[in-house]
Amino acid sequence: MKLAVTLMFAVLLGGPAVAGSLTVTVRGADGKPVPDAVVTVNPGGRPTSGPIKFAWPYRVAQQNIQFTPFVLIVPAGAEVSFPNLDKVRHHVYSFSAGNKFELKLYGHEENRTVRMPAVGVAAIGCNIHDQMVGFIKVVDTAYAAKSDANGVATIADVPEGAAVIRVWHPYLRAPKNEKTLSLASIGAGPARETVTLELRAPSSH
Amino acid sequence: MFNRLQTKLTVLFAGLFALALSLVAVTVYLAIAGNAQQAVRDELAASGTVFDRVWALRTQRLQDGADLLSRDFGFRAAVATHDAPTVDSAVANLRQRLGLDLAFMVGVDGDVVGIDPKRLDVPKLWAALDAEDQAQGVFIIDGAPYQAISAPIMSPTLTGWIVFAAKLDDTEMRALERLSAIGLDAQVFDRRDGRWVTHNAGPDAQSLGAYVGAALKEKTRKPSLLKAGGAADLVLVKPLKALSPDGAAALVLRYPLAQAMAPYRPLFTAVILAGLLGATLVAAATWALSRGLARPIAALEVAARRLQRGEDVRVEVQTHDEIGRLAGSFNLMASEIRDREARMTHLALHDEETGLANRRAMEREITARLALVAPGRKIVIGALGLDRFPAVRSAIGYELATELIAKIGERLVTISPGLMVGRLTTSILCVISLVDDAEEAVNRIETLIPSLEPPVMLGGQPVDIHITHGVAAAGHGEMDAARLIEHALIALDQACAAHRKVMVFDPVAYGDPAGNLSLMSELLDGVTSGALFIHHQPKLDLRTGQITGAEALVRWNHPTRGPLGPDLFVGMAEETGHIRALTDHVLAQTIADQKVLRAAGHDLLLSVNISGRLIDDADFAERAIEQVVREGARLCFEITETAVIGNPDVALAVLERFDAAGISVSIDDYGSGLSSLAYLKQIRADELKIDKAFVMTLQAGGKDALLVKSTIDLAHSLGMKVTAEGVETREALAVLRLMGCDLAQGYHVARPMGLAALTAFLEGWSIELPAGVETDALRQA
Repeated sequence: MKLAVTLMFAVLLGGPAVAGSLTVTVRGADGKPVPDAVVTVNPGGRPTSGPIKFAWPYRVAQQNIQFTPFVLIVPAGAEVSFPNLDKVRHHVYSFSAGNKFELKLYGHEENRTVRMPAVGVAAIGCNIHDQMVGFIKVVDTAYAAKSDANGVATIADVPEGAAVIRVWHPYLRAPKNEKTLSLASIGAGPARETVTLELRAPSSH
Repeated sequence: MFNRLQTKLTVLFAGLFALALSLVAVTVYLAIAGNAQQAVRDELAASGTVFDRVWALRTQRLQDGADLLSRDFGFRAAVATHDAPTVDSAVANLRQRLGLDLAFMVGVDGDVVGIDPKRLDVPKLWAALDAEDQAQGVFIIDGAPYQAISAPIMSPTLTGWIVFAAKLDDTEMRALERLSAIGLDAQVFDRRDGRWVTHNAGPDAQSLGAYVGAALKEKTRKPSLLKAGGAADLVLVKPLKALSPDGAAALVLRYPLAQAMAPYRPLFTAVILAGLLGATLVAAATWALSRGLARPIAALEVAARRLQRGEDVRVEVQTHDEIGRLAGSFNLMASEIRDREARMTHLALHDEETGLANRRAMEREITARLALVAPGRKIVIGALGLDRFPAVRSAIGYELATELIAKIGERLVTISPGLMVGRLTTSILCVISLVDDAEEAVNRIETLIPSLEPPVMLGGQPVDIHITHGVAAAGHGEMDAARLIEHALIALDQACAAHRKVMVFDPVAYGDPAGNLSLMSELLDGVTSGALFIHHQPKLDLRTGQITGAEALVRWNHPTRGPLGPDLFVGMAEETGHIRALTDHVLAQTIADQKVLRAAGHDLLLSVNISGRLIDDADFAERAIEQVVREGARLCFEITETAVIGNPDVALAVLERFDAAGISVSIDDYGSGLSSLAYLKQIRADELKIDKAFVMTLQAGGKDALLVKSTIDLAHSLGMKVTAEGVETREALAVLRLMGCDLAQGYHVARPMGLAALTAFLEGWSIELPAGVETDALRQA
């Protein structure tokens, strides 16, 4: 699938002086909203110092022979749990560099946790069910968000100033499936941005 | 084109048979070829379908293997962790297990494991693998076409592709060829740089490649006939899926048509051999058959030619068919032609009335004999003229006269068997003598005359006959038959003229008719040139001793022949009609001479001879009278008695006109012809001239003297003067004077002379006339 990318920023002047929120709308080339795109902001281009805590649980459940959620954002070093909600057993693995793990066959209601030490992506699959694919985006910044069903990702309280803003999607047709926005600073007040991504079709099984 | 019926028939039938057989052969060939081709097409199509199936199975097998490997957890782990040695070994393991030519892995990042990247176009392969899920198709590796299939390696996201490739080499193609019921040839073509090439290129790869390109372009899915390099192939092109979008490949199934036809070759050979044998048999049979047909026709043709040449022919009738009947008709026709020809020949060579040979037959026979006569010997013929034939014919009638001639002909043959007798004219027969010498023939005729001339019995009545014979002879090469017959006829004329029974042709007497004819044309020239002139012979008055007249006599000094006597050309001039011009000339000259004489003081009565031929020429008489009157001439016209006898009424009238015009008339040559007293009385003449034949033999007391004396008396009693011609002696002069003759003419008086001589003669004339003492004595006698 080929999608054109358009970026637009709406810098809201007159907002709080210390921080602003960034709202990025992600659309495909066909104009449809793209969910599960991860937007990260590194203020000053640096990783966030100190512990990072996201509001969502660090959990990838296996339900209906699917990983839920499809994409999970966790900070580096986070413990991610893999509860099996299905009645069948799963064999969850990741060959991703730094976050390699393998959860051999485990059954219903069993819960396993894996620590994600490396910043990057852990592509997870099930050795039994080829159609099961999921991604854990391991980040080094506290300012990260995932687009919802409407393709909207909102990051609150982003410090004002220069920043590197990136958009990642597992099927983004770009090196490391990642794209750095041309916007290089965050102003005070809420900023709105729209990103159009060119996506690859997911490999069928 | 063919002059012989036999050849024509043979060529026609053999040709027709060969044509029919050729048509059969062509039909059989076309049917078989069509069938064979269709069979091959079907087989090719079937092979194509089999290949499709084989290809699909192979693809599936490879795909299954690739899928299996790509899903293997350990393999995926090795790939994901970039464990190249493990991946390599795993790929090699599977390659061996599946018996694959090539198996390798291509990473999403473009890394190639399991094969040397230099052996293939990696970017192209990557693009092809990335463009399509589970991409598969023909791909070129090491310059050779491979069947490649791919399977993605998911771990769980796409990390690369496993690629299996089987070489589409000769071994593979041979395996495919073995699947076919017919021995076809399979090749894989692929497009490189716009050209279709094959790994195993044969001599015709280029044209085949071009054809493959065209067939794919036109999407031809059926076998087609391809002719290249003198061989025809049935070719089926099946497009093969190429791995790369810009690549193209095709499977080419080929079957040589000659191979398809091979099983039928003995059949064709048999058909052609049978055809040739059949054509030979038909030709031989037709030849034999037509010979039987043509031979009688050829015989007829030969016979017709012989008939044309006049030969006696008869054709053998062998059959009862049309040709046999034709031969019969031909024989009938030939015999009728022969009969007709015989009749015609008979008619042509015989006299219809008498049945005797005609002139042509005689000429033919004479010609034949002349050709065969021995040297020194002669062919002698006779022309037999029946005397007084017109008189006899008017007495006994035309029919009996003809019968008379026929009977004389019969009599001749009876008297002298073996004699050839023919009829030349109505009254003249021709005989070819058995002797070879003219004199002997004359002797023989004279001895035969008594037996030839007894009266002939016609209708029970005897008819007297008198025959005159003209004989002519000729040796080999002397003259032709027509001339010989002419000579005989002339001899007959000569005999008649001489009142003899038999005469041989006298060439001297005959002269030269052709020369005479030219003489006549020269005569006219002589009139104008002065070569013809006149001499005057003086006439002496026996009473006074004076020259009172002269006879004008024409003379001709011919430029080449010299002086010619009048007896040589006057008669001829009469015969040819030139006498008129001659007489005109003499008349004019005489009148002119008379004027000269008058001027010299001599008044002479000049005599001119007028031919009997001119007596009944009213035109001439008119002109002569007019001329004499105009010139005031004093002339005397001398005319023979016989001239008057021929046409007395006209002649007497003319003589009366002369007399009326003051022209004296003299009866010339009295006594030489048939002197008729009756005419003598009628002719109003002034003078009578006694022929010199009487005068020259005049002797006192002889018979002639009596005749002369009585003639003089007769003339005197009729009121005519008498002139004696041919007076050559003084004695004769004396006798004539005694007899009372008035005038004398002859050498004793004077020879004929020219005008000048005459004038001189007249000047010096004097004569002492003999005494007339004997006059009384003569009277007494």
